[in-house]
Amino acid sequence: MEEPKLAISVDDLTVAYNYKPVLWDIDLAVPEGVLMAIVGPNGAGKSTLIKAILGIIKPIAGSVAIYDKPYEKQRKLVAYVPQKGSVDWDFPTTAVDVVMMGTYGSLGWIKRPGQKEKKAALEALEKVGMLSFKNRQISQLSGGQQQRVFLARALVQNASIYFMDEPFQGVDATTEIAIINILKELRKAGKTVVVVHHDLQTVPEYFDWVTFLNVKKIATGPVKDIFNDDNLTKTYGINYKVAVNK
Amino acid sequence: MNNPQIEIQLIAAVVAIACAIPGVFLVLRKMALISDAISHAILPGIVIGFFITQDLNSPILILLAALTGVITVVLVEIIQKTKLVKEDTAIGLVFPALFSIGVILIAKNANDVHLDVDAVLLGELAFAPFDRLLISGMDMGPKSLWVMGVILIMTLALLVMFFKELKVSTFDTGLSSALGFSPIILHYGLMSVSSITVVGAFDAVGAILVVALMIAPAATAYLLTSDLKKMLGLSIGIGVFAAIAGYWLAHILDTSISGSMTTVLGLVFLLVYLFAPSKGLLSVLYRQKQQRIEVSLITFLLHLTNHSEENERHINHLNEHINWQKVRSKNVLNLALKNNMITIENKVVSLTNKGQEFTDLAIEYIITNRDENIEHMKDDFFLFRG
Repeated sequence: MEEPKLAISVDDLTVAYNYKPVLWDIDLAVPEGVLMAIVGPNGAGKSTLIKAILGIIKPIAGSVAIYDKPYEKQRKLVAYVPQKGSVDWDFPTTAVDVVMMGTYGSLGWIKRPGQKEKKAALEALEKVGMLSFKNRQISQLSGGQQQRVFLARALVQNASIYFMDEPFQGVDATTEIAIINILKELRKAGKTVVVVHHDLQTVPEYFDWVTFLNVKKIATGPVKDIFNDDNLTKTYGINYKVAVNK
Repeated sequence: MNNPQIEIQLIAAVVAIACAIPGVFLVLRKMALISDAISHAILPGIVIGFFITQDLNSPILILLAALTGVITVVLVEIIQKTKLVKEDTAIGLVFPALFSIGVILIAKNANDVHLDVDAVLLGELAFAPFDRLLISGMDMGPKSLWVMGVILIMTLALLVMFFKELKVSTFDTGLSSALGFSPIILHYGLMSVSSITVVGAFDAVGAILVVALMIAPAATAYLLTSDLKKMLGLSIGIGVFAAIAGYWLAHILDTSISGSMTTVLGLVFLLVYLFAPSKGLLSVLYRQKQQRIEVSLITFLLHLTNHSEENERHINHLNEHINWQKVRSKNVLNLALKNNMITIENKVVSLTNKGQEFTDLAIEYIITNRDENIEHMKDDFFLFRG
C-alpha cells in the first residue's frame, strides 16, 4: 500500500516570546486526509503552533512545510479560522462580507472581489446554514452564528488544509454538531483538518488523529492508538483517569 | 462670496476629506490616540524641514515631517514591546519628547524663522490664500490647496487600490497575515498616509485640530452605519459639512476658522451620539425600556399559561399579585393586545393561540438559547435580538 502523503510537516520548531520558549523543538508529521485535534492545557502553545505554521508568528528555529514546500508558496492550499474572540465583532460589516474575505487570498493584492466571489460566499453561507443571515451586521449574530460565519469564510477558500483555532469555544450544541459534521465532510473529501480542541471527552468521537502538546510535543498519531491515560497524564501533569471520571 | 472665501472653504473641505479617510481606519483599529501623537511629534520634522527648505509647503518638508510621524509610531512600538509600560504610556512618553524638541528648535531660532508655536498648534486657514503657487508668473491658486489636493488624490488612489487589504487587516490581522496581506506593511502604509495628511493639514488647521478632523467624523459615522463603505462616505460628508459650516460660523462670530470647524464637528457628534437611530443614547435607553416591558410581557404570558382560574386572570390581579405598578401593568397589557396575544372580556384576560405560541417559543429560546425558531420575533421584540 502506498504511504499517504504528508500534508504538514514541522521540523524542530521553536517559538519564544521574549526569550521564553512557548513551543520547544516540535516535530510533527500530519498525513493527508486526517481530522486532527491538538490538545493540551492552557498555555501549552496550541494556538501558537498553528500561528507559527501559518507564518503569523516567526519561529526562532525550525521549519514548516505544507506539501513539501514553505507555507508562503502554498497559501492557497490553506484556510485558517482564528479564535472567534480575536476579532472585533462590532466592525462595520455584514456576514456575507466577512465570508468574502476568504476569497481575498486567491485574488491577491489590489484585485477586488466581484460576482464570482459573492456567489461563492453565498454558497458557503448556505453550507453552514446561515444564508438567511447574509446581510445581518456581524455584531447582531449570536456566538454560534459568528463561528459559522468564520467556518464559511474558511470553506470559501476551497483549501486542502484547514486550521481552526477553538471552533467550539462558546457555541451552542447545535452549532457544535453542525461544525463537526462539516469537518467530517471535509475529511471525506480528502481534506486535512487541524483543530485546536479543549473538550477531551469528545476527542474520540470527533477526531481520528490527535497531537498532545505541552510546550513540547508529547505524542502524535491515530486517536485509537495514542489517546490514552498515559499520554493524557503526561500532557496535563495530573492523573487524568481520575480527573475525567470526576 | 469673494475669491479668497471660496478658496478657504475649498481648502477646508479638501483637508476634511483627506483627514476623514485615514481617520476611519484609525478609529476602527482603536488607534485614535496615535494620530494625536503623530500630529505633535511631526513638529521637529517640520522645523528642521523649514530650516532646509524655507517653505512650509515644500514636498521635502512634508516628507521629512511625515517621516517623524512614522518614527513616532516605531518608537511607541519599541517601548511597548519591552512590556515595561502599556501602549498609552508609551504614546505619552514619545510624543511630548519629540514635540518639545520642535518647540526648543523654534524658540532657539525664533529670530530667523517665520514659524511660531501658535501657528503650528492652531494653524491659520484665513492666511492660506495669500501663499500662491506661481508657475512662470502665472497664478495657479493657493499653494496649500495644491498640497492638500495632491495628498487627497494619493489617499483616494491608495484607498481604492487597497480597500480590501485594509479591511481584512483591520478586521482580522491573523487572517490577513495568513492570506499573505502583511499586516505590518498595511499598518505602516496607513501610518505613512496619516502622517503625510497630518503634515499637509497642520498648516491649515494646526496640529491639535487636525486630530479632531481625523477622529470626529469617523467616530460619528461609526454610530450611524454598520457598513464600512458607508462609514467612509459619511465621514467624508460630515467632514466637509463641518468644514463649510465651520467657516461660516467663524465668519459670523469673527473668530478662528479651525476652532469653529472643530466646534461644529463636536456638535455634530453630540447630536448623533444622542439621536443616532440604533446606536444613539436615546435609542439605547428606549430599547432598554422596551426590553424591560418585554420581560414583563413574557412573565405575564407565562402566568396566563400556568393559570386558567378566572381570579388569577383578572386585570386587577396583576397589580395585586404580580406586584406591578399600574403603569407597567397597563404597558404590558397594551403590548399584548397590540400583538393579539390576549383578549380581555369582563376584565378577565385570556391567552389567544398566537399568545400561546409566542410564549412557548419565547420560553424555549430562553431555556435553550437557540434562536432558529424565533427569527420572526426579532423584528418586533428587542429581547430576542441577542
